[in-house]
Amino acid sequence: MAVLAAGVVTPLGPDLDSFWSGLLGGGDALTPIERFRTDDLRVGRGGEIKKLPAVATGVRSRAAALLVAAAADLRSRARLGAAPERIAVVVGTALGGVEELERALQGDGTPRRALDALYDAPAHVLADWLGARGPVLTVSAACASGATALGVGADLLREGAADLVVAGGYDILCRFVLRGFDVLRSLTRERVRPFDRRRSGLLLGEAAGLVLLARERDVRGPRLGRLLGHGSASDASHVAAPDPDGRGLEAAIHAALAAADVAAADLDFVSAHGTGTPLNDRIEAAVLRRVLGRRAAAIPVNSIKGALGHTMGAAAALEAIMCLLAAREGVIPPTAGFEEPDPACDLDCVPGAPRPASPRLMLSTSLGFGGCNAALVLEGA
Amino acid sequence: MGARVAGVGLLTGWGEGPGALPDDAVVAAAGRAVLPLGRPPLDSERFRRATRECLLGVAAVNAMLADAGLERDAIRGQGTALLFVTAAAYAASNAEFVAGAASPARTVGGLSEERRGAAGTLHFPYTAPSALSGEVAIEFGLTGAYVILVGGAPAAIDALWQASLLLAQGRCQRALVLVVETFVECEALWRRARWTLPPPLVETAACALLEAGDTAAVYRAVAAGSLPTAAERRAGRTLAAEPLVALALARAAGEPAVRLTGSWRGRTAGIDLAVAGHAARV
Repeated sequence: MAVLAAGVVTPLGPDLDSFWSGLLGGGDALTPIERFRTDDLRVGRGGEIKKLPAVATGVRSRAAALLVAAAADLRSRARLGAAPERIAVVVGTALGGVEELERALQGDGTPRRALDALYDAPAHVLADWLGARGPVLTVSAACASGATALGVGADLLREGAADLVVAGGYDILCRFVLRGFDVLRSLTRERVRPFDRRRSGLLLGEAAGLVLLARERDVRGPRLGRLLGHGSASDASHVAAPDPDGRGLEAAIHAALAAADVAAADLDFVSAHGTGTPLNDRIEAAVLRRVLGRRAAAIPVNSIKGALGHTMGAAAALEAIMCLLAAREGVIPPTAGFEEPDPACDLDCVPGAPRPASPRLMLSTSLGFGGCNAALVLEGA
Repeated sequence: MGARVAGVGLLTGWGEGPGALPDDAVVAAAGRAVLPLGRPPLDSERFRRATRECLLGVAAVNAMLADAGLERDAIRGQGTALLFVTAAAYAASNAEFVAGAASPARTVGGLSEERRGAAGTLHFPYTAPSALSGEVAIEFGLTGAYVILVGGAPAAIDALWQASLLLAQGRCQRALVLVVETFVECEALWRRARWTLPPPLVETAACALLEAGDTAAVYRAVAAGSLPTAAERRAGRTLAAEPLVALALARAAGEPAVRLTGSWRGRTAGIDLAVAGHAARV
């Protein structure tokens, strides 16, 4: 499937250009949270978007506002050239409209609030904003949601159920989720350091990332790249922790490679889930070493969560977009926060500075609560 | 290659199986807003943190296995895809987590005391929809393809289509489409939405087993019509479970094929599926 264009809103900035330049800069957008109280939590920092683009003003919920902001960026780069009923929306989210649910449960708002509170509400707001009248799907595979949404979107195109698909993911930073991860002691008080020896946990972020997908044979003009294959698998191991051997992630990667008809040996670059937690990064590194085999040390592997925080449902979509930008621009963003290699994560983690490279075939990996694993295989234009 | 439905497990607030459904749900509800499902008796140590919704998911798969005449080992492993769908079954755990944050003694959204019980504050990962499917995957050893959709009846139809696609592409040998809908913990919330979702809301846990078959499923991502279905008339409002209620009714009636439709938030989707045990085609 062709990826025609992308649009984002992230803590690094309101659009694709600021996202890309921020990633190349190697810094982070992790700041004290201002939108809600955090004084009773261990950690009050995250990748918060301080100011939403004007186009999102007045949108009913913050979750939907993020989607509209990303969609506005997308529409500034590509035309939705299909009949409205042939345009589908498929978005992934871990939290949906949970902030609205919290308000509704506390008796705030109108009857409409009750339905706004359901996790699929923001996707329908996006479809209405776009004028899309085709299928509207919400994927909620925890932090693997964005990858699965891109895969489901590609399936809709392949089967002729739509001619264009706006696919991606989103999630907001809200008190509900910050408190949850705080209780789990997953958040770090230090810098987020994916794959680094000193890594001590993650920080959360909020964002939305969308791509416009079309069948390759229908595309005449330029494209950003291609989604060649996707795969998913369940760990069947633990509700909150990844399988200790990463069997589900490995199965998802192999499924994606098979769907793409790509050999692991042909990969040029891997965008890892790379949360910065001791457990995730060790397991993921071991899986990547098994999958990549003898080439493991030679293939650059980065994580952008050190720059943005873990943006949950948006993460995989943003990482897929980053891969395609890396191929187009001929440079791989560094893993922000990675400085001291960990022997248990023996990979080329792109430290320090952007790396000139010409990746063509790329892998993006994702994991989430409930034993969710997903992988995407992408190709530069 | 196509797909066929080889088993359906159905638990509703009316009882177990399609035979428990009344002829007219509105009449039978006699003014009740919500028809609840009890907590399945699966309280082993492994389920100590699991929510009622998780246990309902496990019970629905057990009911499907009974309907299909299969042992649980028949679905274990990487060959089985799991597609979980819900419109609302995470609301109770979200409410519980919110209530725990506010005050351990406070009731929010009509949350029942029984539910809050001895467990205290809910373990945060159980607020995710994927916790339910995760518990089901663990219980039955399901390690194949994994998709979770949130939405009403069209989302279940999307999942049935995804399941048939995975089968047709050889990405799995069998697929479970699991739907759980619960309402009782957030009854006050649902009461406010009654202008859109008139009662009765009927809690449902349902699971369909799809296997490879000769007949390709016919998917209509955007279908015509939004009239109440026979499944809705019989069962009441079951949201995403409505297509699986219809599947259970069709299988019980010995129909060789079924045409399913479902509407939600202005979208109607449909799918035609073959039902196992019958030679005729859709």
